[in-house]
Amino acid sequence: MLHDVQQGGIFYFIDSDYCAMTIVQNTLADEIVALRRAAEKRFSELRSVDDLEKFRVEFLARKGSIGELFDKLKTVPNEQKPGLGKQLNELRSFVESLFESLQQKLNPGKKGEEAAIDLTLPGRTVPKGTLHPITQTLNDIVAIFTSMGFAIATGPEIENDYHNFEVLNFPPDHPARDMQDTFFISEKILLRTHTSPVQIRVMEHQQPPIRVIMPGRVYRNEAISARSLSQFHQVEGLYVDRNVTFSELKGTLVTFAREFYGKDIKYKFRPSFFPFTEPSLEMDITCFICSGKGCPMCKRTGWLEVLGAGMVHPNVFRNVGYNPEEVTGFAFGMGIDRTTALRHGIPDLRMLLENDVKFLEQF
Amino acid sequence: MRISFNWLRRYISFDSTPEDAAQILTSLGLEVEKIEHLGKHLDGFVVGEIFSVEKHPNADKLTVCQVRVEEDSASLTQIVCGAPNVRTGQKVAVGLVGATVPRNQHDASGRPFVLTKVKLRGVESNGMICSEYELGVGDDAQGIMVLESNAVVGKTLAQHLGLDDVVLEIGVTPNRPDCLNHLGVARELSAAINGKLVFPDITAGKESSEKISQFLNVEIVNTADCPRYSAKTIFDVHVAPSPEWMQNLLKAVGVRPINNVVDATNFVMYELGQPLHAFDYQHISGKKIVVRTAANGERFTTLDGKEQKLSPNMLMICDSEKAIAIAGVMGGLNSEISEKTTSVVLESAYFSPLSIRRTSKQLGLSTDASQRFERGIDPNGTIHALNRASALIAELSGGKPLEEVIDNYPNKISSREILLRVSRVNQILGTHLSAEDIQKHLSSIDIHAEDIRTANSSSKTFRCTIPTFRPDLEQEIDLVEEVARLYGYNNIEDKMVSAIDFKSLHVSDATASDIARSWLEANGFHETISNSMIDSSSAELFSQHLVKILNPLSKEMSVMRPSLLPSMLQNVYFNQNHGTKDAHLFEIGRVYQHKSAENSSDVVHGFQEEERLGICLTGRKYARTWFNGDRLADIFDIKGIVESVLFKIPLDKIRFIYYDSSSPLTVQTIGIEINGTYSGYLGKVSSTLLQRFQIENDVYVAEINLSNVKKEERSFRQFSPRSKFPSVLRDLAFIIPKEAFVQELQSEIYKSSGNLLKQVTLFDVYEGKNLPENVKSVAFSLQFVPDEKTLTDSEIDAAIKKIVDALNRKFGAELRRV
Repeated sequence: MLHDVQQGGIFYFIDSDYCAMTIVQNTLADEIVALRRAAEKRFSELRSVDDLEKFRVEFLARKGSIGELFDKLKTVPNEQKPGLGKQLNELRSFVESLFESLQQKLNPGKKGEEAAIDLTLPGRTVPKGTLHPITQTLNDIVAIFTSMGFAIATGPEIENDYHNFEVLNFPPDHPARDMQDTFFISEKILLRTHTSPVQIRVMEHQQPPIRVIMPGRVYRNEAISARSLSQFHQVEGLYVDRNVTFSELKGTLVTFAREFYGKDIKYKFRPSFFPFTEPSLEMDITCFICSGKGCPMCKRTGWLEVLGAGMVHPNVFRNVGYNPEEVTGFAFGMGIDRTTALRHGIPDLRMLLENDVKFLEQF
Repeated sequence: MRISFNWLRRYISFDSTPEDAAQILTSLGLEVEKIEHLGKHLDGFVVGEIFSVEKHPNADKLTVCQVRVEEDSASLTQIVCGAPNVRTGQKVAVGLVGATVPRNQHDASGRPFVLTKVKLRGVESNGMICSEYELGVGDDAQGIMVLESNAVVGKTLAQHLGLDDVVLEIGVTPNRPDCLNHLGVARELSAAINGKLVFPDITAGKESSEKISQFLNVEIVNTADCPRYSAKTIFDVHVAPSPEWMQNLLKAVGVRPINNVVDATNFVMYELGQPLHAFDYQHISGKKIVVRTAANGERFTTLDGKEQKLSPNMLMICDSEKAIAIAGVMGGLNSEISEKTTSVVLESAYFSPLSIRRTSKQLGLSTDASQRFERGIDPNGTIHALNRASALIAELSGGKPLEEVIDNYPNKISSREILLRVSRVNQILGTHLSAEDIQKHLSSIDIHAEDIRTANSSSKTFRCTIPTFRPDLEQEIDLVEEVARLYGYNNIEDKMVSAIDFKSLHVSDATASDIARSWLEANGFHETISNSMIDSSSAELFSQHLVKILNPLSKEMSVMRPSLLPSMLQNVYFNQNHGTKDAHLFEIGRVYQHKSAENSSDVVHGFQEEERLGICLTGRKYARTWFNGDRLADIFDIKGIVESVLFKIPLDKIRFIYYDSSSPLTVQTIGIEINGTYSGYLGKVSSTLLQRFQIENDVYVAEINLSNVKKEERSFRQFSPRSKFPSVLRDLAFIIPKEAFVQELQSEIYKSSGNLLKQVTLFDVYEGKNLPENVKSVAFSLQFVPDEKTLTDSEIDAAIKKIVDALNRKFGAELRRV
């Protein structure tokens, strides 16, 4: 059954059986609106370059639908021409933009000219080099401390007993020396067992305030295994000024650990022993491999020991000519190789020194 | 240090778990590295008694046993058993359903398995009667393990075997000798939980009141090394195995039980920390003990049966004729306690830590006793330990000690007194602890802190009396640590350093090595880090001034590398053997030399360390790709890389030195001079060297000293004005004799052309077909840039003519039409 419906001057037949809407009579303005809808609908159905070409012919070609409407524009009354002309221009640029957007997608090369190129060919890559993972770890650690105002110092690896042990409050024949098995070059010359002698060399040459980190290679006369190397790297830190406190030492280490290991790490401090610091501490963080559940990496404790530190021992200050009543300070140190192995999940420390290209290129 | 949890609880009541104890001890600085539940693998195993044994109805070799496994119950558990030695009335080890048998003796790999309720040939079996092998307590797999007849039915097997203990493995730091025993660890635990220590009973039963001097005298010759020597004698001793409880505790801490006398001395050492030694009195000549140093070349056989060569500084325990022990290290075979021993001399001494350490190091002999002496035991604990041990020996062996002890203590060591300022504690720690808190913490570890009035009353000062078992507490700062430790490190605020002065913020300049490192990384090189310690025979090829290690780990790591080249070749070799033939590697690292000649710039006199950049290319320069054919690397690749790296550093005053003859290490060698100083070389590794490192492919290397490149020596580039007028390009090709050098040609071109010529680029080198044998063709692209006006053709032609004439004159070069 068909009804006549009049609505805003536009006539529709509404076929109540099919509910389809058909335009039977129209003004140019309505045709512009309708054509826009039609173009949108057709556009959404386009799948290939051929479809796109048909779309172009249907709407944008000179004899296309939009062209026909421009022809009709000539027949409308003069006073309506500017308004309708503007609408028509808008329609045309809208449809053109649809066309171009899809053309870009379907054929991103130069318009038509080089369409035959296979753009899926691999790019002309340059060989990718890598920094050794130890260097990367070291760089990250150094960057954090330099941002906190620490300068960088280095010292010799072939050291004398005096700087490596004696000034650092390891008396000759003291059991504390057993903590660091030493390679000797002669009776009094050795391969440094830690980066701590650089602290001494810095303090011997300058007055407080001192804020310095000291990266470098160290040696221990220990059997080489998956868990220990006879040559490894450390970063040492030293801060000396008036009224430096243990509390600030902890704060500095926490700041570092959050920056380096992640904002959400849990940590704890426990007393330890180093001859050149008192009080001494070690810092543990929750094992990031097992999240504290216990795994072989953390010896099933859920904790990883990440660094040692303490307040500089007054004997050390006296040995370099500082007055321990006037200045206090803290020192800290950490092993780079083990840290590197932990953060990259490297199961065997020896891999770090093999220099296998298949290993190096992974980092 | 192994601490038995059962043993520990003899001195302190502690109701929580071993894990809790471990956590507390760790927070006090006694790091528990491992917790070992000794009988864990025996969970689910109990002592059972076999009530009856019947033949299995369907199997010849099996029996059906009824076993009692509960102490106060007559109920029986049926178990099918295959062992030939099973008998009624035996006490046996029974694995109940659900238990994990540690080792499967019917499986070649011996893997553990879980017991379930099963039917064996139609008969139900509810567990297993186990062999020693299956339980992991022995190797006997022939039959079931038969327990002592007095074993208590229903007891866990772990309890029965004395394995119901937990061992805390503590990493005792060298400063805490007082914690190398159970009482010391208990003292720490007690301080943390505010507990009370229970001291071991040292009251002996009957002691003889005879004078000891008629049996024994002690003379200390070297009182510096032996400040105190105490001794006691015990007669009528019956040497026998010690009781089970003592054996179990000793085994738990890793000490092998020997007999009641020796075990008692070991027990006291692990209990109180005082090492003791028991001599067989029969073997002490002249009723006399003399403490003296060894004679030069003296020899002595220790308890372990080894003959030791002694030096004159070693302290010995002797009788009137001979040495009977190396003081504080090990006793002698000649006076050891045996089954025949009836009279014992117990030694309880304090030796100088330094002397014992020296002796132990020299002999390479480290014992439980020497480790304690060299760290420092309590000099005032000798008598207490002596009485404890003699009471134990009397109890265990029926021996009769003399009441009187010998105590030779010429150099009394008294308690140290240290002043501690409350203000100093808070200044160092950044805390606000009260005087009372500090006093309380110290007294919890037996440090008496007495308040002394000072003129300045704003800060309290304590006079602290340090017990002699704490030799590590020497000065005020040591007490600050004690306070911090007991207050709890984790209770101290984490305060960010506010005092950091950012005005002095160090902005680190990229060093030459930083720049080289990032350029090489960006250009496809992998950074290596190699061992600085290398094999001496390859090192000798590179230098006569080697730094040699006196005590190397191995021959392969016995000298410090004098050059990066051996490290690089080692890396090439490793990669070649692991299937990587193309390697572009670099390393920035130190090399080391030992030249005793006076050199004021040495940090450590006579030793030079230099930072070098090593670059190494082997195999193909380019791998084969769709856009590049592959090509082997050659000398011009390494040369170009060196040129680019140095340019980037930036270094502009570079000169290459072309050697007439090459070194034995490299051929095609080019020396590198930076700012007028010889700084390294590049070249192709010689075939002899390749053979030595077993390398198959050619290797191109460069090694440059970067230590010389100080910041001020690096170039700082200045702006130069660009011409407003168009530049002109001309290409010229010359035929020149084969032996002429392109570099010389190029500099002649610059020299002869006048100042319009700005750049000369070599773009082709050709020899071979269409050219006579003895010549080559080289082609250059010349760029002329005018400063003041546009160039005319005739001006350029004139310049070119000058060039062509000069080259012809100098090199016989002929212009070739291109």
